[in-house]
Amino acid sequence: MKKLLAKEIRLTANPLSIVFIAFALMTLFPGYPILMDGFFLGLGIFFTYQQARECDDVIYTVLLPVRKKDVVTSKYAFVIMIQMANFILCVLLTLLRMTVLKDAGVYLANVMMNANLMYLGFLLMVYACFNIFFLGGYFKTAYKQGVPFLAFSVATFIVITIGETLSKVPGGQILNATSGVHPVHAVVFAVGVLVYVVGTWASMIQSIKHFENIDL
Amino acid sequence: MSAVLEVKSLSKTYRQGQAVTFQVKDISFKVEAGQVMGFIGRNGAGKTTTLKAILNLIRPEAGQVLIFGKDFLEAEDEIKQETGYAVGGMSYYKRKRIKDIAEVTKTFYDNWDDQAYRHYLKGFKLDENKRLMDLSEGMKVKFYLTMALSHQAKLLILDEPSSGLDPVSRDEMAEIFKKLAAKGVAILFSTHITSDLDKCADAITYIKDGKIVASMDKQDFIEHFANEMATTSPSLEDIMVYIEHEEVDI
Repeated sequence: MKKLLAKEIRLTANPLSIVFIAFALMTLFPGYPILMDGFFLGLGIFFTYQQARECDDVIYTVLLPVRKKDVVTSKYAFVIMIQMANFILCVLLTLLRMTVLKDAGVYLANVMMNANLMYLGFLLMVYACFNIFFLGGYFKTAYKQGVPFLAFSVATFIVITIGETLSKVPGGQILNATSGVHPVHAVVFAVGVLVYVVGTWASMIQSIKHFENIDL
Repeated sequence: MSAVLEVKSLSKTYRQGQAVTFQVKDISFKVEAGQVMGFIGRNGAGKTTTLKAILNLIRPEAGQVLIFGKDFLEAEDEIKQETGYAVGGMSYYKRKRIKDIAEVTKTFYDNWDDQAYRHYLKGFKLDENKRLMDLSEGMKVKFYLTMALSHQAKLLILDEPSSGLDPVSRDEMAEIFKKLAAKGVAILFSTHITSDLDKCADAITYIKDGKIVASMDKQDFIEHFANEMATTSPSLEDIMVYIEHEEVDI
């Protein structure tokens, strides 16, 4: 797996997939739907898939001395690696906002989602949308990318809309707190972790099944 | 001689809805160590489908592929350590330099031999600082062969390696195949260019409309069709025309 992951980075990855990890900085943006970071991260990885198709990456990889299913798991591992790099940055920036910057005027007056534990939970759900809808859809054919990306985009915008709306419903203001961890935040975060882990795992198992049966 | 590759009753059907659009059926043949097997047939006869099914790039409905006596699906990673491939017209990572692709590829092979890699680069006059897209089709085939031979492949599976090559490069390729076979490498290569087979093939497997017409030693193949055609010493091109001849209805 290490060798395949190294191959993904050295031969397959479009540099934008790595560069777009920096969209984590959006966590600091006031007055902006900061969950869009997850969408842009997916867009960056999408560039790698377009490049991979152009250079017959899948055929090359399948012909290496690996099992066919390893091709799928390595591609999931690459995406998870990118997502976790982005997530760690987002966690650090969220901690910054929740401590040093918790009383900053721009965040106290922020009408959009604030960075807190609930935000991180929703961010994991956006990552999960990519893994379920884009990767899961892509591995049905190993070449069609348009419809899977559209499905990911639609699912992501639904998740973002729900996330941004929750704190606007009467009594929901606590969800947008700039500091502290409230039980609801913890619940949303736990749901995010669950959706990400279970969604990614189930998508990968399904993708392996599809990939072993499709004609390349 | 022992069979390095044994294909048993391989079948694959392509459908559009319920209608069958193409089928390769009951494909069986063997390639032995040190043997150059020409896999021949017209365009669309099923050569690429068969080779892809052997390599598990497509999933056949029936049949079995044994390489080095092991079931390919059960020992895929192990078998691929000793097998090399080249597909004419394919260009992996065309914007990457040869040395970058080789650097990554070699990490996967237990038997990678850097000395052999340098030897074949020199022998094939490949500049490893060139990008794949800067190589001619002939040089690309040589690059794929270099990669395969650097990990001591004992079986080469080559899909139309001579397509797009000029006559001189095709002649060179035939010479390379003969030298490799002399070292014990088994080679299965598909082609529709009969002159490639004249130069280097020891055995012929002929496929027509998805079915094997014959699979035997080249001399036996020629004699078999000489009797059928009631002629003496037909060329492989004559035999191919005889097998494939159809009235042109215009």
